[in-house]
Amino acid sequence: MSTVMPTAEDILAGAETLRWSAGVNFHEQLVEAIYTDAARLTDRAVTRPDSPLRFDFDRTVDKLVTSRWFGFPLMLLMLATVFYITIVGANVPSALISDLLIGIIHPLLKQGSAALGVPFFIDGLLIDGMYLGSAWVVAVMLPPMMIFFPLFTLLEDFGYLPRVAFNLDAIFRKSGAHGKQALTMAMGWGCNAAGVVATRIIDSPRERLIAIITNNFALCNGRWPTQIMIATVFIGVLAPPGWGGLVSALAVVGVAVLGILITFASSFLLSRTVLKGEVSTFSLELPPYRPPRIWQTIYTSIIDRTIIVLWRAVMWALPAGALIWLAGNVNVSGLSIAEHLIQFLNPAGLVLGLNGVILLAYILAIPANEIVIPTVLMLTALSAKMAGVGAGAGVMFDAESDAQLAQLFAAGGWTLLTAVNLMLFSLLHNPCSTTIHTIYKETRSAKWTTVAALMPLLLGFVVTFVVAQLWRLVAAG
Amino acid sequence: MAQALLFILIGAGLLIGVLWAFRPGSGWYWRGKTQVEMTDRVRTEDAVKHVHLSNLRGLQPTLESLAGALQVTGNEAAAVAQSLTQFGLAELRDGQLHLQPRGVEAALHIIRVHRLWEQHLAEGTSVSDGEWHAQADRIEHQLSAQEADKLAAQMGNPLRDPHGDPIPSHAGSLRPQDGLPLSSVAVNQSYRIVHIEDEPVAIFSQIVASGLQPEMELRVLENSARRVRVWADGCEHVLAPLLAASVAVRPVEVQAQEVAQRPLSDLEPGQASRVVSISHACRGLERRRLLDLGLLPGTMVYAELRSPSGDPTAYRIRDTLIALRRTQAQWVRVE
Repeated sequence: MSTVMPTAEDILAGAETLRWSAGVNFHEQLVEAIYTDAARLTDRAVTRPDSPLRFDFDRTVDKLVTSRWFGFPLMLLMLATVFYITIVGANVPSALISDLLIGIIHPLLKQGSAALGVPFFIDGLLIDGMYLGSAWVVAVMLPPMMIFFPLFTLLEDFGYLPRVAFNLDAIFRKSGAHGKQALTMAMGWGCNAAGVVATRIIDSPRERLIAIITNNFALCNGRWPTQIMIATVFIGVLAPPGWGGLVSALAVVGVAVLGILITFASSFLLSRTVLKGEVSTFSLELPPYRPPRIWQTIYTSIIDRTIIVLWRAVMWALPAGALIWLAGNVNVSGLSIAEHLIQFLNPAGLVLGLNGVILLAYILAIPANEIVIPTVLMLTALSAKMAGVGAGAGVMFDAESDAQLAQLFAAGGWTLLTAVNLMLFSLLHNPCSTTIHTIYKETRSAKWTTVAALMPLLLGFVVTFVVAQLWRLVAAG
Repeated sequence: MAQALLFILIGAGLLIGVLWAFRPGSGWYWRGKTQVEMTDRVRTEDAVKHVHLSNLRGLQPTLESLAGALQVTGNEAAAVAQSLTQFGLAELRDGQLHLQPRGVEAALHIIRVHRLWEQHLAEGTSVSDGEWHAQADRIEHQLSAQEADKLAAQMGNPLRDPHGDPIPSHAGSLRPQDGLPLSSVAVNQSYRIVHIEDEPVAIFSQIVASGLQPEMELRVLENSARRVRVWADGCEHVLAPLLAASVAVRPVEVQAQEVAQRPLSDLEPGQASRVVSISHACRGLERRRLLDLGLLPGTMVYAELRSPSGDPTAYRIRDTLIALRRTQAQWVRVE
């Protein structure tokens, strides 16, 4: 053969000609060829059983869980069961961890540092600030997550959760979102940071962004205790004796349902405004049912979800604990920084139907919603100069009884309006820093992270402002 | 009491004012923004584009046609032509505009950015096809050559825009548009649509509404002075000859089959059918997703479950249960 070697230019020109003659659809022909090859290989290598038993089982279960009459009630039952087990089951370990970290280890550390003669400010900053803040987060956060996430993962592993998305897709479609957002929202009730990570299951870019930005409207595990406490102390007492528990439970559920409604409304608005042009595609695989692998599930959900989220939370709680302690203990012209800030924030807080203490607590407790209430209590006791209540300046504490709480709040000048608006603001404010951090990791976009952080906060200001003004209007009229 | 009422009124007033000002499309903020963008540079660039495109179509651009294309008066068009000659982009001979090499270069850059951006909108976003042209008309004045190269590289250096128009290469060469107008082809032959002219917008949107898309194969049933009837995508389409003239086609060897087709969404649970094609109106990620799921010609699809809320429906495709929404299942044509 005496052919001349083609030069690089010749090859490039040849490729160019081929590209133009191949047409636009050659990708499709490629995919088709791949599938034809794959089908040929499987036909040669795979033998199928004659009687598809599992197949029939799947069909029967699918017919039941997606049926017109049983589909939705079954879903509600499952959800209620998961919540019941989580709430009831978390109480005991939560109390145990709290007793250990705060009741036993904290005093031991204090005694130890006193014996060593550690100066007051180092001891306070490290033990009362950083240690106590992180211990609090661990005690409140860890047990529910250790129960909720494995339960959720078991349902996922069994194959039930995709069917939930299948049943609920129509509602989410109308608000421009993906059916799987039902799952990430439910995950958000456990922890928003975990909910944001869970949006990875949504493979359509636009719907995934919607799910990430609106996840904060799912009331997370760190906010349920706030809701329950405020509802018990302020709203439960309005009900006739014996009905208090029910009324306050209804109030908390009402706030959670409001969160769901706001999720739909904001998804609707986002998909039609800022996210209008983003790519959108839907597909949802309904995998075959499998017996859940229990130990593996527990292991992976604890490692992948619980530990990672908890680690991030503790990393944020350490500096926050230090800041809270410093704010309560560094004095400038006779008053602590916290008191200066409270006085500064008070006018704004009152316009929103809240107060300076609450606003400052939400600023200091950006790292974790779990420490909002201990911080509120500490700041209230500090600014009301209540002797004998609490554990000292800058040291977070929990109230011993509802009566003590009521007394503390009365001293802080709280009204029913403050309580209602605190419940609303707890639902509608910026996500905690762990969640913001996670949103940035997932979206890799400063723009969407900012939107996700500021949109709920703005909404919270608007809602509390309107409620406060209307409330005062009605009260005055 | 009065003060609270005042607060609410002021707050509500401010909110409404801000929303009004930023109202998409027609709020004053957006209007002001577009006003600023209509500078002299934009007009000059639009003018070289018009001259070059007219040349490609074998037309002689004049001051009148320029005024028409820029939607300005004759006097303003003359002023634009004057600045073209001043910048050495074009010259006016015998009442006709002729581009200088620099003018050709500028025109090709504008055309390249326009077509690249249309391709980007079609493949990488969910912006609807009616809005592509207007958006690209804005962007074409904003991207530099480097940014255009980056965009092209991201998309794998596409050859054609979504209407089938060739995209000028980075080196600045533009392949001539091939194909015959649909209004001039023979009856009972099969063709593939290679290009749909996107200007004027009124005609383009009528063609889009009729369901014809580039790359679609069709068979001509009737071609008269009154109407053009074609069989494509499983049903009959009727076009006015004026519309058909904007559709360019190329003959294909394989005859398009006149099989009755219906959308996959017509399948009731319990029914099964065989895939014929995925509609060409379905593009980008959406199309690749359907292909990845294995919805290829010849694949059997069984409709199995319908959600209790009526939509989506789960289909068994290649031993996998996949739920698709009605709007997506409509893209897939089955026997």
